[in-house]
Amino acid sequence: MPNLGNTVRIIVTSLVIIGSWLALRQAKPSWKRVVSTSCTSLGGAVVTFILSNHFQLGPVVASGLVGVLGAQVLAEERQLQLYLGAFVGMSSALRFPKFLPLILAGALGGVLFELLKEAWSGVGGRLGTLAATAVLIVLVVGGGGW
Amino acid sequence: MVITLFVALLVGTATGLVGFWLRQNTKLSSVEVSAWLTLVAGLTLPLLSSEGFLLALICTSVSYVVMSSKQRISSFKEMIVVSVICVLVVYYGQNLLVGVGGRLGTFAALSVLLFASLKKCLKWRDGHVGCNIRG
Repeated sequence: MPNLGNTVRIIVTSLVIIGSWLALRQAKPSWKRVVSTSCTSLGGAVVTFILSNHFQLGPVVASGLVGVLGAQVLAEERQLQLYLGAFVGMSSALRFPKFLPLILAGALGGVLFELLKEAWSGVGGRLGTLAATAVLIVLVVGGGGW
Repeated sequence: MVITLFVALLVGTATGLVGFWLRQNTKLSSVEVSAWLTLVAGLTLPLLSSEGFLLALICTSVSYVVMSSKQRISSFKEMIVVSVICVLVVYYGQNLLVGVGGRLGTFAALSVLLFASLKKCLKWRDGHVGCNIRG
C-alpha cells in the first residue's frame, strides 16, 4: 500500500505537469525565452542563497544586494527575472540542504514567470508568490514537505 | 508585543510612503526601489533593537507592495492602507512558511489583493447606495 507522502507527491507532480501543459498550450511562449528567463532566475537564486547562507548576510540583505546590483547592469525585464530568483534564494539552508533542488526551484520560477505573465499584472508581491510556488512544488515533489 | 506591533506599523507605513515617493519622483525601476528599501532595512533595523529582524522582514514585505502598478495603488492614502494591511499580515503570519523563499512576497500580494477587493466592495456599495438615492 503506497504511503500518504508518496500519494501527495504523485498528485502534485501530475497537477504540475497537466497545469504546465495547459498553460503552455495557451501561452505558446518562445522556448528560447523560457530558457533564458530560467537561467537568469536560477542565477539570482544561487547567488542570493550563497550570500545569505554561506556569507552569513541573511536573506533580507542578500536579496537586497542582488536586486540593487542587478538593477545597475540589467534591463528592466531581466531585473524582474533576477529578483524573482533572489526570492527563491531567500529560502533557508534547512529547506535546501543540497544545491540541486534550489537550482530546480530557481529554474521553475523562471518557467512560471513566462507562463503566468498575464496573471496578477501590477500586483506587488507577484514575483514572491511565483517564487514561493516554485519552492513549494520542488519541496513537495522532492519530499521536503513544507 | 503591542509596542512591537505599533512600531512595526510606524516603520512599515514609513517604508511604504518612502517607496511610493521614490516610484513617483525618481526614475528608479520597481526592482531598484524595492531592493534599496530592503537593503537599508536589512542593514539598519537589526542593529537598532532586538525586534529589528522582524521589522526588517516587515519592511521587506512592504517594499514588495511598493512594486505595485499605479492602477493598483494610486495615492499616498492608498499606500498607507495597503502598508498597514501588509504589516498586520506579516506580523500575524510570521510563523507561516518559515524558510520558504517568496513567502514575504506572497504576504505582500495577499495584502494588495485584499486591498483591491476592499476597494471594489466599497465602490460597489457606494454605487448601490447611489442607485437607491436616485430611485
